[in-house]
Amino acid sequence: MTAVDSPKANLSAETPPTRRPWGTWALALVIGFLCVTPFILVIVISFGQKIDGAGWAWDFTFANYQRFFIGALWPEEVTLLHLQRLYYALYYAVIASVLAVLTAFPFTYLLTRQSRRAQSIWLVFILASLSLSEVFIVMGWDVLLSNRSGLPMLFEVSGATDWLKETGWFEVLREWGLANPRNVKFKTSEFATVLTMSYLVWPYAVILLYPALSRLDPSLTEAARTMGAGPARVMSSVILPTVKLPLIGAVLLLFVFLLGSYVTVVVFAEPAKQTTAVAVYESVRGSTLDAPFGAAQAVILLVTAAAFLALAQYLTKRSEIR
Amino acid sequence: MAGLSLKYIRKSYGDVRAVENVSLDFTDGGLTALLGPSGCGKTTLLRMIAGLEDPSAGSISLGGRDITRLPAHKRKFGMVFQSFALFPHLNVSDNVSYALTIAGTPRGQAAARARELLDLVQLSAFAERRIGELSGGQRQRVAIARALAQEPDVFLLDEPMSALDAKLREDMQVELRQLQQRLGITTIVVTHDQHEAMTMADSIVVMSQGRVEQMGTPQAIYHHPENAFVADFIGKANFFDGVTEGGNVRIGQHLLQVTPPANFIDGSPVRMAVRPEKAMLAGADDGNRLPAKVTFVRDVGPVQDIHLDTPIGRMIVSDSESGQPLRVGDALQVTLPADAIHVFPRLSDQAAA
Repeated sequence: MTAVDSPKANLSAETPPTRRPWGTWALALVIGFLCVTPFILVIVISFGQKIDGAGWAWDFTFANYQRFFIGALWPEEVTLLHLQRLYYALYYAVIASVLAVLTAFPFTYLLTRQSRRAQSIWLVFILASLSLSEVFIVMGWDVLLSNRSGLPMLFEVSGATDWLKETGWFEVLREWGLANPRNVKFKTSEFATVLTMSYLVWPYAVILLYPALSRLDPSLTEAARTMGAGPARVMSSVILPTVKLPLIGAVLLLFVFLLGSYVTVVVFAEPAKQTTAVAVYESVRGSTLDAPFGAAQAVILLVTAAAFLALAQYLTKRSEIR
Repeated sequence: MAGLSLKYIRKSYGDVRAVENVSLDFTDGGLTALLGPSGCGKTTLLRMIAGLEDPSAGSISLGGRDITRLPAHKRKFGMVFQSFALFPHLNVSDNVSYALTIAGTPRGQAAARARELLDLVQLSAFAERRIGELSGGQRQRVAIARALAQEPDVFLLDEPMSALDAKLREDMQVELRQLQQRLGITTIVVTHDQHEAMTMADSIVVMSQGRVEQMGTPQAIYHHPENAFVADFIGKANFFDGVTEGGNVRIGQHLLQVTPPANFIDGSPVRMAVRPEKAMLAGADDGNRLPAKVTFVRDVGPVQDIHLDTPIGRMIVSDSESGQPLRVGDALQVTLPADAIHVFPRLSDQAAA
C-alpha cells in the first residue's frame, strides 16, 4: 500500500501544512551531513594527488590504490609492503579474536550456570572493565612484558630462564622470537601483540556470547546425557552446534573491531610487522603527510571490515531463520 | 530382570527437603505415575532416577545392581522432557537416532532404526523435517521416539502432556499408554493431572511435600484413599470434621454410621470424606439421611453438581441419575451410604473444613 492510498495520508494532506516537516528535514540533513561527509571526504581524497613538499590537490587518479596493491613504481618494480601490512592487520585480528572467543566461551558457559546473583556481579565487573581505554590496557601490558621489569625479570630472578636454557626450550623461544641471547623477551613480538589484543576484546567476547549461552535450554544437555553422551560428547554434539552461529558472529565482530587497533600494534608489534591502521596514521599525520594515500589505505581497510561485517550479518540472518 | 527400586531416597537443597525418605518398587513393564501438586518433589525424584541429580541419601537399584552413583550417560534411561528438549540443529531423523550415533552404531543401521521408531509414532513422513517445522504433538512423538531409540531399561516422562492443548492431550494419553503396553517397557510418568494418571497408569504414587502419601492402582487410590490428602487430591471429596464414637462418626447432633467401623478410640478427632458421586439425593433407606437445602446448581451436561447446606456442613453432590429439576432453595434429603464414608485421623495442623 502506498502512502497516498492510506486514509490517514489523505487526512493529513487536507490539513494545512505545518512548519514541522521543514525542521525534520533540516535535522535529517544535518545528521546526514555529519555522518556521511567524513566518509565521502575520505573516499574523494583517496583519489587525490600528493604534491611534493606541499599538501595535496583534488584529482581523480587510481595511483594511490595502485601504490597500495602493487607499489608506486609499477611496472618497473612491484612492492607488496602495503599488502603485507593489511595481511598483518588481518593476521593479528584473526588470531586475537579467535583466541578471545575460545577463552571467553568456557568462562561464559560456566558463568551462565551460576546463580543469578553471581552472574550479575560478574557481568557488572566485566561491563566496568570495558571503561578502560586501549591506552591504559596497553600501558599495563607494556609494564608487564617489558624487558627491564615485569615477566622477563621474573623469569630471570626465579631461575626460570636458566631452567629454559638447560632444557633447551630457550633455543625454541629464540626461534619464535620470544628471547634475546640473555633472557626471554616479549617486546616486541607477535605474541605480545596478539595477547594484548585478545585481552582488549575479551570482555566484549563474554558479553557477545552471554545471551546465546544463557538462552541455552539446560534440558538439551540433560537429554543428551540420558541418551549416553558424556560431558565431552555433550559439548561437541549439542552445545557447540547450538551456539555455533553466535560463536562465529562474535569472532567476526571482534575481528573487525581489532582490524583498526592502533596503540597495541605501535607498542608491541615489530617495526616490520606493523598494520594498515598504523600506516594510515603515519600517512596522514606522520612524517610523509600524504593524505590521499592515507585515505586510500583507510578506504581499503573500511571495505575489508565491511565485507566481514556483511558476512556476520548474513550468518545472523540465517540463524534467525532457524 | 528384577525391577527398579528406590530405598530411603532423600534430597535436600540447603534447608529445603525436596524428597523425603521415599522407598518404592516399580512394577516391571508397568506404567507408574508420580502424581502430586507442583513442588511435591515428583520431578526431583524422576531426575534422581534418571541420574540427573544425586540423592542426598538412599539408594537406587536396577535389577539388584546399585546404580545410585552411576552418571546419567551410563544409565541411559530414555527420558522425555517437559520442553521435549529436541535438538534444534538436527532434523527429526537425526534427533531420533542421536543415542545410536553416540553409541557408535553405523549410520545406515541408525537411520533404519530411526525410520522404524518414527513409524511406531506415526511420523515416517516427517523424517527430514526440521524441529522448528513441527507442531507440539509431533514434537512430543519425536521426543518419545528419540527416548526409545536406545531401548532403555526404564522409560521416564516428565510432565509429557503439559505442552499440549487439552484435546490433543487426551488423545496422546491413550496413544502413549497403548505404545507402552505394546513395548512392555517399565515406564514412570510425572504428572500433576490426576486424569492423566488415572488414564495411563497401572499404579499411581501420590506425593505431597516430598513424601509418598499412597501407592496403588488407580481404582484402589480412588476408592480407598489412605489419608485425607489423597482423598482430596484424587477426585473430589466433601470433608467433615468430627469425633469417633463406637466406630461411627459424630458431628454435632448427628451420629453417622460407618461400615466397616472406623478403627479409632472413642473421642478421637477425625476427618471424614464422602465423594460427591457417592452421596445420593434419591431416598435410599439404608445409610445416613440428612436434611439439606440446595444453595447452587451447576449443570455440566452429563452430571449436575448440587451444592447443599446440611446440618453437618456444606457439601457437593454429583447427581447423574435422578434428573429431577432442582432449584436453589429446594429442601430435600441427602443420603450418605455407610460404606462410602472414609475416615482419617485429623491432624492438628489441618484446619477445620
